Amino acid sequence: MRRALLVIGLLLPACAARPPQIVQPGPSTPMVSAGVVPQDSAPKQDLRMVPPEAYMRTYLQLFGGLAPLDVQKRARGGDGGQLFDTWDDYVSALGLPDYRLDIPRQTQTNALMVATFERLGVALCDRAVEHDLQSKGRPPPPVGERLVFAFELPQGTVDAAAFAPRFDTLHRTFLGYPASMAPPKRGARFFQLYSDVVANHAKDEPKSRFSPIEAGWAAVCYGLVRHPEFHLY
Amino acid sequence: MPRAFRLPALFVLLVLGCLPLAFDARSAPPPAAPRTLDDYRHFRITAIDLLGRMPTTAEIAAFERSDFDLDRWIDARLAEPGYVERMARIYMDVLRLEPNLLFQNASWELYRHDVLGPDGKPVTIYYRENQRRERPDTDGEFCLSPDETGVVIRARQQDMGTPKKVTQKMLDAATVLVKPWWLYQDYRAATPAHRYGDGWKDPDPQYRPVESLLNGADGKPVTEVRVCREEARAADTGHVYASGRTKALPKDAKLPGGRFRPPPLDKPYATQHQGQELACDTRTALDLAPDCGCGVGLERCVPGDSNNGGNAFYYPNHMPLGPGAPLDDARQSQQRWFPYWWSREAVRFIDDLFASDRDFRDILTSKRTFVNGPLAQFYRTIQRSNCCGPEAQFGMLEESEPLFDPKNVPGDLDPHDVSTWKAVDDRGPHAAGILTMPMFLEKYASARARAAAVYNDFLCKSFSAENQQLAPSTEPNLTIRPGCKTCHATLEPLSAYFARVEPSSFVFLPQARFPVHSTTCKLDKNGKLNGGCNALYDPAFADATGATLRSAYSSPQHADETPAGAAQDITKMPEFAQCAVQRVTSSFLGRQTTADDAALLTSLTTTFVGSGYRMKALVKAIVRSDAYRRSNDLSSSTWRGDAR
Repeated sequence: MRRALLVIGLLLPACAARPPQIVQPGPSTPMVSAGVVPQDSAPKQDLRMVPPEAYMRTYLQLFGGLAPLDVQKRARGGDGGQLFDTWDDYVSALGLPDYRLDIPRQTQTNALMVATFERLGVALCDRAVEHDLQSKGRPPPPVGERLVFAFELPQGTVDAAAFAPRFDTLHRTFLGYPASMAPPKRGARFFQLYSDVVANHAKDEPKSRFSPIEAGWAAVCYGLVRHPEFHLY
Repeated sequence: MPRAFRLPALFVLLVLGCLPLAFDARSAPPPAAPRTLDDYRHFRITAIDLLGRMPTTAEIAAFERSDFDLDRWIDARLAEPGYVERMARIYMDVLRLEPNLLFQNASWELYRHDVLGPDGKPVTIYYRENQRRERPDTDGEFCLSPDETGVVIRARQQDMGTPKKVTQKMLDAATVLVKPWWLYQDYRAATPAHRYGDGWKDPDPQYRPVESLLNGADGKPVTEVRVCREEARAADTGHVYASGRTKALPKDAKLPGGRFRPPPLDKPYATQHQGQELACDTRTALDLAPDCGCGVGLERCVPGDSNNGGNAFYYPNHMPLGPGAPLDDARQSQQRWFPYWWSREAVRFIDDLFASDRDFRDILTSKRTFVNGPLAQFYRTIQRSNCCGPEAQFGMLEESEPLFDPKNVPGDLDPHDVSTWKAVDDRGPHAAGILTMPMFLEKYASARARAAAVYNDFLCKSFSAENQQLAPSTEPNLTIRPGCKTCHATLEPLSAYFARVEPSSFVFLPQARFPVHSTTCKLDKNGKLNGGCNALYDPAFADATGATLRSAYSSPQHADETPAGAAQDITKMPEFAQCAVQRVTSSFLGRQTTADDAALLTSLTTTFVGSGYRMKALVKAIVRSDAYRRSNDLSSSTWRGDAR
């Protein structure tokens, strides 16, 4: 104890002797111009969000045209609130107005809204993988009855050529137009995402309810359902 | 083969040869049409706006076919619910016609309280607050006195005292058993037999009483409810009752029956009109007539499951996609029951405007509406219980010119027919679109709030104060008071249209009984108006010779024209059509319209007015416009240089 006090006693004058830090009012040397960028004076438009009602209707449609409470039941499944809470929890986060309290419609995203989109999207994709791709001892439903992944999985490894038409199906489902019309690198980037997830998922840990291929398609689905084009129109 | 036969044979061969091709051409899908990214985008935004959701892959495939006809597709969508919901949303976003209010403390509320029965078990009794009874022990109170039950029972108050057993004789004297409307489909029958969940075939799936109304504390189904005898009376008319009590009891007087407060004294009106007949579904009847109750099967009252009012029915808190797609299901307070249906009435009315493509001016001018069972119950009897208090002083014991004439309510709707909606073509002479619906009048409770809502929502104008320092002023006329007149010179005459509809209410004050300038209401020697006058006439615009109806001072003419006059005048203004076009265009473009859109708005207004104020013509013109096609065009902004 005495020794500790002695050490502190010795250190205190050292601290007091430290010179005060001087903060320069400006850069000590003049900043060098790195380039000249013309000022953009073009009129701008706000990005227009898909109305939450339309988002919800689309969501219900992708879940097989079920009623909201049925979708809630299916999305929660046996996992409680791990994947999906309740619609009531998402009402204001999605930007819906509350006329009773005179809360207006949200027209711009915020962090909570983006997180909600993400959570809802993940729930949709995961349940769609379970419904469309997992056999659980039975053959998966016919392509026509699948919710999101309306294609047959190829046997063996999926290469870029096999990935493209299947990605096109998902691209049309979520974004409304052929993948061939998207910016040129989009297909390649999604294929890379798919391949990376499949490769990483093939490791032993962590355990997942999805096979590597299922996880790969789920990741593609996550990417599309969270894409700005899905939320804007 | 002769040459004459060769040509036909060749022809036959050709025809036969081509037939398979012809069949193939008919059965094979037409070739895909070349579509640009902008085409796809336009189709997607149109689907989102008119279908209410993004297009499915099948719909996109149909769009890609060469025989796809966008105009025909748009016309088909304009006939569907998605379009109706989209349009209603525009106006609900500005009108916000959903209630955050309780309709309470009226004569239709049945409270519920337990007393200790003869066997020591609880007995549940329904009663009304302030019910007149001939027994001084219980007049204006619960029908068993504190001396009989051991406790002082008052609505929404904690009990005082220690419960004691009530004898069967007391129970039989003060209460009766009733088969009420909320339990029996055939509650009007002499012996109702079709109970909810037992004999009631196919009850409306949206009519769901809470469990506590259906089952007793022991979990057994309730087949009859015990109600105070006066509340159970079924007559349509009763009689003015005078107890003979005209003077207050001395402060130290023993109160009869151990009651908490003295029994009510006779009002002058009761003394003067003792025995006079009066309708039982009015507030006056609750005040004056012990022989008036809740009617057959208690149909003039709504139950709650506690002494605080409590819960009554299930319905959703959130249903942004409509009542057919609720997001939840919740027990709801008895006092929210009618406000909920007022809101649904307004939505139904607005939906019909767009679904039937009616003249949009109807939103303010139409006498039409839609009612279901609860609304029929409300307009038939419950709304009448809002009247009459201070109005009685002017001789109005019941509403003489209600905004919704009960005679026009369909007679074949029971209170539990919640999913059955019927059109009512004419509510009454004073009806004016949404302006005279309870939801609008309660949401915008004052004349000024109502006027401001109309000004903002249907003329797209708002009130902004001038930049001026306010000096103290005693000038009551806001149309001339410095600093106030900027807004109030416009607002006050607009408010005057609503002077004849009482604030926070929907009681209509007829011109014959309530002239804009009353000579019976005048300031007394202390400069005050008496109670009844003060409630309805404005002391700031009164003198020793008379007083002016509240909110009417700036325009007596507008006051007499009523909200129906406001509707006529506003829809004749050119700004009405311009505002509607601006609102809808702005909503579809997803941005505020600017000066750059002037030509588009002018063209659309011409289309809208030329079509007879039909929204479908306007919307079709919008979604086919270049401005809409270009709106929020991400391909030229966000996507530029983006490789996501």
